[in-house]
Amino acid sequence: MSDLYPVIIVGGGPAGTAAAAQLGKFGIESEIIEEASKIGGVIYRGPLRNTATLPHLDDNLKRSMAALQTRYENQRANIKLKLNTRVLGPEGKSKLLLNNDEVLNTIDYQELILATGCHERSVPFAGWQLPGVMLMGGVQLQIKSGLVKPGNRMALVGTGPLLPLVACQLHKSGVEVVGVYEASQFSKLAREAVALLNKPKLTLSGLSMMGYLKKHNIPFHYGWGVVKAKGEQKLSQLVVAPYNEQWQADTQKSKTIDVDSVGVGYGFVARSQLAMLLGVEHSYSNVSGNVPELDKWQHSSVNNVYVAGDSSGLLGADAAICEGQIAALRIAQNRGKLTAQQATQQASKIIKKLDRIKRFRYGFDRFSTRQVGLMDLAEVDTIVCRCEQTTRGQIDIAIAQGVKDITSLKMRTRIGMGDCQGKTCSSYAIDRLHQAGCTENVGVIKPRFPLDPIPFAMLEEHV
Amino acid sequence: MKKFDIVIAGGGVIGAACAYFLSRDTDLKIALIDIKKPGNASRASAGGLWAIGESVGLGCGVIFFKTLSKLQSEANGKEIPVMRPHQLPDCFFEFALTSNDMYPALHQEMLERHGVDFKFERTGLKFIMYNEDDRIYADQITSGIPHLADQIRWLDAEQLKKEEPYITPDAIGAIDFICDHQVNPYRLVDAYTESARQNGVELVLNTEVTSVIREGSRVMGVETTSGTFQCNTLINAAGAWADELFHQATGYNMPVYPVKGQIVLSERMPKILNGCISTSDCYIAQKDNGEILIGSTTEEKGFDTTNTLDKITELSQGAMKCLPILKESNIKRCWAGLRPGTPDELPILGEVPGVEGYLNACGHFRTGILTSAITGQLITELVTGQPTSLDLTPFSVARFLEG
Repeated sequence: MSDLYPVIIVGGGPAGTAAAAQLGKFGIESEIIEEASKIGGVIYRGPLRNTATLPHLDDNLKRSMAALQTRYENQRANIKLKLNTRVLGPEGKSKLLLNNDEVLNTIDYQELILATGCHERSVPFAGWQLPGVMLMGGVQLQIKSGLVKPGNRMALVGTGPLLPLVACQLHKSGVEVVGVYEASQFSKLAREAVALLNKPKLTLSGLSMMGYLKKHNIPFHYGWGVVKAKGEQKLSQLVVAPYNEQWQADTQKSKTIDVDSVGVGYGFVARSQLAMLLGVEHSYSNVSGNVPELDKWQHSSVNNVYVAGDSSGLLGADAAICEGQIAALRIAQNRGKLTAQQATQQASKIIKKLDRIKRFRYGFDRFSTRQVGLMDLAEVDTIVCRCEQTTRGQIDIAIAQGVKDITSLKMRTRIGMGDCQGKTCSSYAIDRLHQAGCTENVGVIKPRFPLDPIPFAMLEEHV
Repeated sequence: MKKFDIVIAGGGVIGAACAYFLSRDTDLKIALIDIKKPGNASRASAGGLWAIGESVGLGCGVIFFKTLSKLQSEANGKEIPVMRPHQLPDCFFEFALTSNDMYPALHQEMLERHGVDFKFERTGLKFIMYNEDDRIYADQITSGIPHLADQIRWLDAEQLKKEEPYITPDAIGAIDFICDHQVNPYRLVDAYTESARQNGVELVLNTEVTSVIREGSRVMGVETTSGTFQCNTLINAAGAWADELFHQATGYNMPVYPVKGQIVLSERMPKILNGCISTSDCYIAQKDNGEILIGSTTEEKGFDTTNTLDKITELSQGAMKCLPILKESNIKRCWAGLRPGTPDELPILGEVPGVEGYLNACGHFRTGILTSAITGQLITELVTGQPTSLDLTPFSVARFLEG
């Protein structure tokens, strides 16, 4: 293969930068396309401070991020950066259309590494659209910015390891955390002890976070969760209740707490829109939504298109680094920089590390598996699709009329046809179809070109 | 194995219309088999019911005929006006106008009996004139269809401004085809499908027909990814993919091929258009939810459904020229659909000489949404052995078969 084009990497988070650094080691040029004004991804994101410091991360991850940064800096000569640039989709067969600071242009590619990360899973409940109700990633971004306090009196609801972490971060930022509500039971976490021992240090740091919460009298409730949010113009009260094993709320025992802000964290969904537009085969995963089908080299069903990091399934930053490196090794092999044996040998060490992270992670995934009770939180008139104002009631009617797949549901209710292309509502819609017994060929809300709106005026002078 | 009287292969607007009319008018046992393939024209469509507009080469045909005229001009080696109306034969006018007349009643009927609404809107289709060339073109159109004079209104610049205030003040006037309207295309497909389901049609979705079962010259059924379906009659409504099924059923080939059309869609806007619009660059229709749909290209690129910046730019520029307010809006989506094209632009309907148990309902090119109703009716007439309400000779596949 000729080395005409640099390897194009979409996304400058841990996976993308690790891939670029690894490619650079073999003298292979790459170009990172990054939507933010600097690389690093959301793990670093924070607009106006020195983001090389990561007070919100545990020590291990901090070390591996620092090592990554050094590797990246060492290879800077081989890495081109296109910042403030969003990929709008494929243009013809082997180009991407870019919006670079409000100017449209295209970029050719030979090999593509998609490291587009994830976005938050939205769970509709009564009142979820009130100002003050935020998803957990949004809460974290505000803390990381160092400029915005997400609230004065806050509660956190959801599941998984982000809950104690964000609770600690909020407390350190001076927010009064009135309660943390973990939907799953503690006994369920105890069952995952073996899995958690795959990352003993991380487990310990989790325990130390729980210790921190205890020390500062921040109540942490297992088997509790949200029922509804209340308020006139903005959030003023949150109703929480004990959840059973299926996460069905026992509203007889519900409690109403006064808060001005709440963080909601039911996990993240792979950001796979671009991969889908490129024709990459995907399959549905309960944890990460639509994830690309990949071989052990992170190579997708489309020739020369690789996917790495959270966009290939939610595993976090340290796994993303491994995956970016693995994809880079394969490309180096294809470009004749490594023999097959060398590539396999170098990859096997990384794969071993990745497997350990996965075993740890899957423990938490099992603990946090969404239960059917979550589906009951949306009331008949609760809006599920914000763009098209589709309510739960409309979805129920369509399903009662025999709709069994997401495309038909979309045609019937316009769910997912708005500007956000279903990022907010499709998780609920798919869960709802599954709940109704539709398990086969449910399909996906297919992303459409362009992934972001293009102002008509941008095409006025364009020839 | 399942046994049906009728198996319809293809659940786009044509297959769904056949399912609806057959289930409404007969007691036959019907299965509708569909798999959603990229480029499915029914979902990609603009939803124009432009019976006159499409018959005289406006609407979707505008870019097609512009290209055609240019090619002819180049082939002849001399300058001829780039835009010349391209009028389809009388049999097509009749086919399109008869179908068009069916929609108001069909809309009412489906709403009342089945609770589905395909958003039929009386809009008219205005051809906007910017200059003297456009006026000559409009003159040629109207003089070509003297029998439809009562369906045409001439608007001067002032009248146009009054009726469509957002259209560029540079326009010198328009002709309005008053019987041309619009529907929401995917709601139409959904309405036919849901009504057919309520009438007892078995929907076999996400299922691909893998082969046709034959005994001699008789079609016996189909093999699919969901098992075997025996039938007395197989209806080929496979859109741009119809030739493959035809070949399996008959051993012949027919010239149905994908003709790609790219479409640009704006964000929702307040109501800025009262009617549908065609210019010599593109057509523009504001849909029931406020989005403005701009179409469409005519490209022969096989089954390719990619969007390309050059074409999107051309369409957008054509639309901004006509509707400057678009410059304040965004493109929300683009897509490409694959029209089932034929060389003479006429559909391929009905029986195949020497083949039993098989009917064509394909090759609807640019006008499947518009002509789905009459197609459903004609196919029902054929299945039940009634005389057809229109002469099907010009639409027979025999015109493409040798001998």
